[in-house]
Amino acid sequence: MGNSVKHHPSLSLLEQFCDGSLTPEVALLVATHLDFCPHCQRLSKDIEADLACSFAAAPVAAGQDDWLSMMQQVLAEAETTAKPVTPSTDPVVTNLEVGGHQFELPRALQRLSSKRSKWLTLGGIATARLPSGEPHHISLLFIDKNTAVPQHTHKGLEMTLVLAGEMVDEQGRYVPGDLIINTPDDTHTPRNVSDDPCLCLSVLSAPLQFKQGMTRLLNPLQRFFY
Amino acid sequence: MLDQRRTYGHHASQFANNSPGLMDTTETASPLNLGQWEEALGLIAINRDKSAYAGLFNYFAPRLKAFGIKMFGNEQQAMEMVQDTMLNVWQKAALFDPTRGCASTWIYTIARNVRFDMLRKKQSRKDDISADDLWSDGDYPEQEDLQSHSWDLYIIAEKIAPHFAALPPAQRVVMEKVYLEENSHQEVAEQLGIPLGTVKSRIRLALDRLREAVDGQQR
Ligand SMILES: [Zn+2]
Repeated sequence: MGNSVKHHPSLSLLEQFCDGSLTPEVALLVATHLDFCPHCQRLSKDIEADLACSFAAAPVAAGQDDWLSMMQQVLAEAETTAKPVTPSTDPVVTNLEVGGHQFELPRALQRLSSKRSKWLTLGGIATARLPSGEPHHISLLFIDKNTAVPQHTHKGLEMTLVLAGEMVDEQGRYVPGDLIINTPDDTHTPRNVSDDPCLCLSVLSAPLQFKQGMTRLLNPLQRFFY
Repeated sequence: MLDQRRTYGHHASQFANNSPGLMDTTETASPLNLGQWEEALGLIAINRDKSAYAGLFNYFAPRLKAFGIKMFGNEQQAMEMVQDTMLNVWQKAALFDPTRGCASTWIYTIARNVRFDMLRKKQSRKDDISADDLWSDGDYPEQEDLQSHSWDLYIIAEKIAPHFAALPPAQRVVMEKVYLEENSHQEVAEQLGIPLGTVKSRIRLALDRLREAVDGQQR
């Protein structure tokens, strides 16, 4: 009970995931949450069924479209492309090593993890970017045991999903699968207070800004986390 | 599931005389024929049945186009999405599993995925996050959701009532028919002309939405 997922995406976020309208980075974070969360898997299947029913029942006006010739084109194309499913040539990586630790990766990250950038390390923290565009960046974030991410605030959105280990911040305690959303101007200090390392997936829409004392000196390094 | 099977069978018998002519584009708001499209996908998968495919094409292509225009905002990409989606339907029909959901859901999710990957390709981000990373092909194991059962009991609680009106109309209608008029799920499906699975989906979604609303109230 103590280790089950408690922090879920909202229904509206799940709806946007299901209709494909989220940015790829946020969608990947939600997809990874689903790998951990049977409850949200079920909900997203329900949302798909609901959306699809409206889609299929919608009346459509008679149009000028030549569906017959499109269908013939499709069938001709099917003749020439012998293999129905093109298998991905990307290696599937089920494990990740960082900071001398092995982590098992959820399904949604297995293909993409081979495309990550090099790890950048700072103290007990390391990050590696996954392929992403603007306006969101998505990274793997490793936090070693008994290590804190310096207190910071964000100009943009910060979403964090715990993949392994556990984390605490001013709001609570998070276990694998938990999704933490911080809106602009939230200030927090995520920490790993346990004796095991923690791995997270993090989506940011702007660089972090560090708040206090010495860590303000990190501000020139803010792109490290971004 | 057995109920749904029976429904397929019942409606499948209407298939022969109800099959739309291919170029019959005088489309109206015909109610969804339960079972017809699941049957068609089966015929395509097993027999490579082109007339079943034509019926399916004629029904779904215009709807896919409307969906594509809504999502892309232009007709050219919408048509590209229709064509690519229908190619997938022809080629992957054998992967469709009617016990996991209805044909329209399967086709809808193909279109969503095609559209997602089209957008990536357009931005030359081919190394990037793809639809396959995001949406596993329904291969999660089926889960018994115990929470929905316990929520059945709570539905009468007064604190939920004010949120009832805020439900999306399609979900509210189903909830009213089940909880206020005490119809069975099967009866509601028949009354509304929607698949049984969709009735169950809408109930679970509405319950979750109500739970979210009540949680928000307590915070
Ligand atoms: Zn969840």
